[in-house]
Amino acid sequence: MNTDKGNHDSIFAIGADGIDTEAIVERIRAAVADKMARGAYRDPAVVRAERANLLCSSDDETFFPYYLECLKEAAAVDINDYEIVEKRRFMAGAFIALKKAIWHLLRFYTYRLWSQQNQTNAMLVAAIENMENRHRARVRDLEDRIARLERSNKTA
Amino acid sequence: MPKAKAIAFVCPRYPQGAAAGGAETLLRSLAVQCARDGRKVLFLTTCAVDHFTWANELPEGPEDRDGIQIIRFPVNTDRDTEAFLAVQSRLCSNIRLSEDEEDTFLKNGVRSDALMQFLHERHADFDRLVMGPYLFGLVISAATAFRDRTVLVPCLHDEPFARLKAVREMFLSVRRILFNTAEEMSLAARLYGEAPILSSGRARVVGMGLDPFEADPAAFAKKHNIGAPYILYAGRREPLKGTPMLIDYFGAYIERAKRPLALVLAGSGRVETTPASETAVLDVGFLAEQEKREAMAGAAAFVHPSANESLGIVLLEAWMAGTPALVNARSAVLAAHCRNAGAGLWFRSYPEFEEEITLLLDNPELRRAMGEAGRRYVLREYSWDAVRPRLLAALDSD
Repeated sequence: MNTDKGNHDSIFAIGADGIDTEAIVERIRAAVADKMARGAYRDPAVVRAERANLLCSSDDETFFPYYLECLKEAAAVDINDYEIVEKRRFMAGAFIALKKAIWHLLRFYTYRLWSQQNQTNAMLVAAIENMENRHRARVRDLEDRIARLERSNKTA
Repeated sequence: MPKAKAIAFVCPRYPQGAAAGGAETLLRSLAVQCARDGRKVLFLTTCAVDHFTWANELPEGPEDRDGIQIIRFPVNTDRDTEAFLAVQSRLCSNIRLSEDEEDTFLKNGVRSDALMQFLHERHADFDRLVMGPYLFGLVISAATAFRDRTVLVPCLHDEPFARLKAVREMFLSVRRILFNTAEEMSLAARLYGEAPILSSGRARVVGMGLDPFEADPAAFAKKHNIGAPYILYAGRREPLKGTPMLIDYFGAYIERAKRPLALVLAGSGRVETTPASETAVLDVGFLAEQEKREAMAGAAAFVHPSANESLGIVLLEAWMAGTPALVNARSAVLAAHCRNAGAGLWFRSYPEFEEEITLLLDNPELRRAMGEAGRRYVLREYSWDAVRPRLLAALDSD
């Protein structure tokens, strides 16, 4: 029997001899990638939740590449990703119209600020990535040299 | 006729109540199985309870417990804790230690001259010395001193301690190594070389057996007055086990999904909730064995957020209770269990966690089928009937 729900249609078949969890996880990863591209996880709650995950990763080799990926994802700020809404029922239409008018007036200045911010973010990410690559290579080189020196000291 | 008739187990702590981790439980279980097989077993340990202070809290001397004889020895009190912690901090920051620093780390970790003295006097009385886990000074010095008789049960994790020179030398020199899973053995091969680990015939995958049990899935929620579905973690609550991440993920889930769900945390260690999750997190502390099983049986899912596991005993227990699992994908061991059993899903990030929890909560039939698959897997691979022959063969072989 199929248990299709929401975004996870046809992922698995209940009653099969074995459950292919690999296939379920692959489908979930594809669904997450799709939703991520649509901005479904651009939410302060998600950023807070990943705090400990980043901290846990910080002691191994995977931390920086992963952190850089997160930074790249976040660097390009999108200011058109929301709809102008009004929670109050009373004169909701009028309030929305007023908000849209204010947004229309401020848009020119906001876009300037936004493009400058995106430019700065992109440059910062590129600089950090470059520094990381250079430092990683230098540290590796230094570690190799120390190991060689220790070996030659022992044999001397 | 068994070749390993007399076996001494060496482990810095003997598990009693909340004061032990999975490695200590594993060593005790193996010792009990050997004793039940009619072999002479002695368990050598220290008087310590707390693995941070290593204070001598229990009386030294012999004691009979769990059908085996235990002898407790005092931990050396002259250790320089400050120097030890300073080096440990550098090590945990992935800073390469000099030989002097590594020496400081090993000399000032948990050690017991009294236990070593006993081994020096009596080691010839034993055919095998089974020791673990790998990262303590006491185990490293004993395993290195008696390498020809040592059967190491490392409980190895991919962490900075595993890269110490002394640890590497121990892995390369002991008589036999008993791993809990094929993934743990692969990690050792990656760290210390394929030839000395895989090709030498010294390494075996043994693991730990579980006794089958049944538990009432409604009992725990009724006792604790939990009206909503709940997910469960049981074990030590500390950053190394990933519990702060689990609490953060759960808080975000409650905030975003807006559906009734509780997180039950059982075990020892501090729990720090977030404002988003504090009303939905239930800290029940250390549970008696039967209540823990009931909590597992009633959970919508068992969540194991740790990246550092060599076996994952609580995951196997949750499957024995018929409950599906969600695990941290960064643990190769836990993810492989889930893949092999068809009984759990693994997540790398919050979005995957969110999707997987929702999938399980929305599909009771999937939960049931995965839980049953988990129980079948544990009975097949990790019952004592399956593990005991692997253990005894590994101890008896030359």
